[in-house]
Amino acid sequence: MSEENTKKPVADPAKEEAPAPVDPRIEKATQALTLIQDKITSQFGEAAIEEAGLKQFVPTFVIKNELYAEVAEFLKTEPSLLFNYPQAMAGTDYKDYIEVYFLVHSTEKGYDVAIKARGERDNGSVPTLSGVYPYCGWEEREIYDLLGLNFRNHPDMRRILLQDEWNGHPLRKDYVVRD
Amino acid sequence: MAGMRTEELMMNIGPQHPSTHGVLRLVVKVDGEIITDCDPVLGYLHRGTEKLAEDLQYTQIIPYTDRLDYVGAMANNHALVNAVEKAMDLQLTDRAEYLRVINVELNRVASHLLFLGTYLLDLGAMSPFLYAFHAREKILDLFVKICGARLTYNYMRVGGVKWDAPEGWLDEVRDFVKYMREQMPMYDDLVHGNEIFHNRVIGVGKMTQEEAIAYGMSGINLRSTGFNWDVRKNKPYSIYDRFDFEVPLGQNGDCYDRYWCHVREIWESLKIVEQALDQIEPGPIMAKVPKIIRVPAGEYYAGVEAMRGELGVYIVSEGKDKPYRLKLHRPSFINLQILPKLLKGNLMANMVAILGATDIVVGEVDA
Repeated sequence: MSEENTKKPVADPAKEEAPAPVDPRIEKATQALTLIQDKITSQFGEAAIEEAGLKQFVPTFVIKNELYAEVAEFLKTEPSLLFNYPQAMAGTDYKDYIEVYFLVHSTEKGYDVAIKARGERDNGSVPTLSGVYPYCGWEEREIYDLLGLNFRNHPDMRRILLQDEWNGHPLRKDYVVRD
Repeated sequence: MAGMRTEELMMNIGPQHPSTHGVLRLVVKVDGEIITDCDPVLGYLHRGTEKLAEDLQYTQIIPYTDRLDYVGAMANNHALVNAVEKAMDLQLTDRAEYLRVINVELNRVASHLLFLGTYLLDLGAMSPFLYAFHAREKILDLFVKICGARLTYNYMRVGGVKWDAPEGWLDEVRDFVKYMREQMPMYDDLVHGNEIFHNRVIGVGKMTQEEAIAYGMSGINLRSTGFNWDVRKNKPYSIYDRFDFEVPLGQNGDCYDRYWCHVREIWESLKIVEQALDQIEPGPIMAKVPKIIRVPAGEYYAGVEAMRGELGVYIVSEGKDKPYRLKLHRPSFINLQILPKLLKGNLMANMVAILGATDIVVGEVDA
C-alpha cells in the first residue's frame, strides 16, 4: 500500500491535487445548493440572493428583502422543488439588523432549504410569508412581539405572548431586563 | 325555529378552565350553538425561556427545557442535547443512547396515557382517567429511581446521560412493559366501541393533509391525516434506525384518528423499549466532552420527535459557551394555530373535544 501511495504522485502529478474525500452529506447539500440557487437566479436574477452558503448541511440563502415573499412562493410552487412543509422560523437580532430565518422541507423531493431576510432595527420590516405558508402567521407574530420586527401585509400583526402594554422587545440584544 | 333571529355572543373560556389543560384563554364568538370565531390568547405561562437561555451555559439550559412540555420532559432534554451534539459533531456511547431511548419512549407512554385519561375526562368519561394515571404512576416511579424526579428530569447531558440505571432498574422496566401490554386492551375497551364516545369524536374536528402540512403541523396531529411523517424515521437521529417499529397513521384527520394514533403509539413505544432492553450492554454513559461545552460558531437546527410533534432547536453560536440565540420550535404552539379554523362552524359542545384532541401542553405553547 505504502509503495503505491508513494508511487502515485510521481506517476500522475495531477492526482496529488485531487481533493480529500468529501463528507457525502456535504456533497449532497452542495448539489441541492447549486440547484436551488440556479432556480432562484434564473427566475429573479442574480441580485435576488444577497448571500448563499451551507449552514450545517442546509442550503441557506439571504434573500433581498423586497423579494422575500415572492421567492418563498416560487420555492413552494416550482415543480422541481415543491418546498411545502415548514420546519422552523426564528428571528435573530444581529445588532445592525434583524434577521428572519425560515426553514422549509420538500416532502416530495427530500430537500431542505433555509431562506432569510433582513430588516432594519428601527421601523424595519420584512414581507410576510403567512400568505404562502399559513404556518408563519403565529411565528411572525412571535418575532414581532419579541424582536419588534414588522411584517408587511401580515393579516393580524399583534403581540402574541406578551401583553399589549409591554414596553420593548425582550429578545433584542439591547433590551434592559428590570428586576 | 326557522327564521328565528339569533344574536352573536362573545364567550370567554379560560385561562382558568380545566378543559384548556393549563392556562390557555379562548375568546369564542357563538351564534346560538355555532362557533363563528375563535381567538386564542396566549402568554399566561410565558417565562422567556429563549431569553434566559442567552445568559446560560448549555448544560444550564437543560433544566429549563424540562418546563416546556412538562409531561414529556425527557424528549425536551433530548432535543436540546441532540442539537448541541450535532453542532459539535459528538459521538455518543452506546449505553447512553440506549438509556436515552428507553427513557424517552417510557415518557412517551406516560404522556400518551395522560392524553387518554384527560381527553376522555374532557368527554365525560371519568374512569379511564383513574386507570391511565395508575399506569402512568408506575412509569414516574421508574423515573424517580433513575433520576430522582417525577416530571422535571434534568436527566440528559451533552455527551450522554447523568445517571446510569440503578441495579435491577432494567428488569423493572421489562416488568412494566409486560404489565402495560396486559393493561392496554382493558383501557381501550373502556371506551372503544362505545357509541357515545364514537359520536363525539368520529368526523369531528376534521382537517385535510394539505392543511396540516401548510400549517407546519407535526406529530400525531399530522399523522392523523394519513401523512407519514415521524422525525424518528424521516430524519433519523440517536439510534432509532436500530429498532423495528411502525408509525401509526390515521385516515380522516378527525378527533377519533388522533385518539387512536395515541393508543397505537403506546404499543409502538413499548416495542422500542423492549428492543432497547434486549440490545443494551454495560458501558460508559458519558462520552469524552470538554468541561465547558462550546458550540463552534455557526447556525444549527436539529429536531427530535417529542410527544406532541417535532421539537426543534435552532442555535446561533458565536463559538462561546452560551448561545447567541436559541430558538425553540415548539410543536404545541404550531399545532394550536389551526384551532380557530377547526372550530369555525362547529357546535359549541365540540370545542372541548377538538381542543383536547389537539393535545397541547400550555408550558410548551408559551415557552
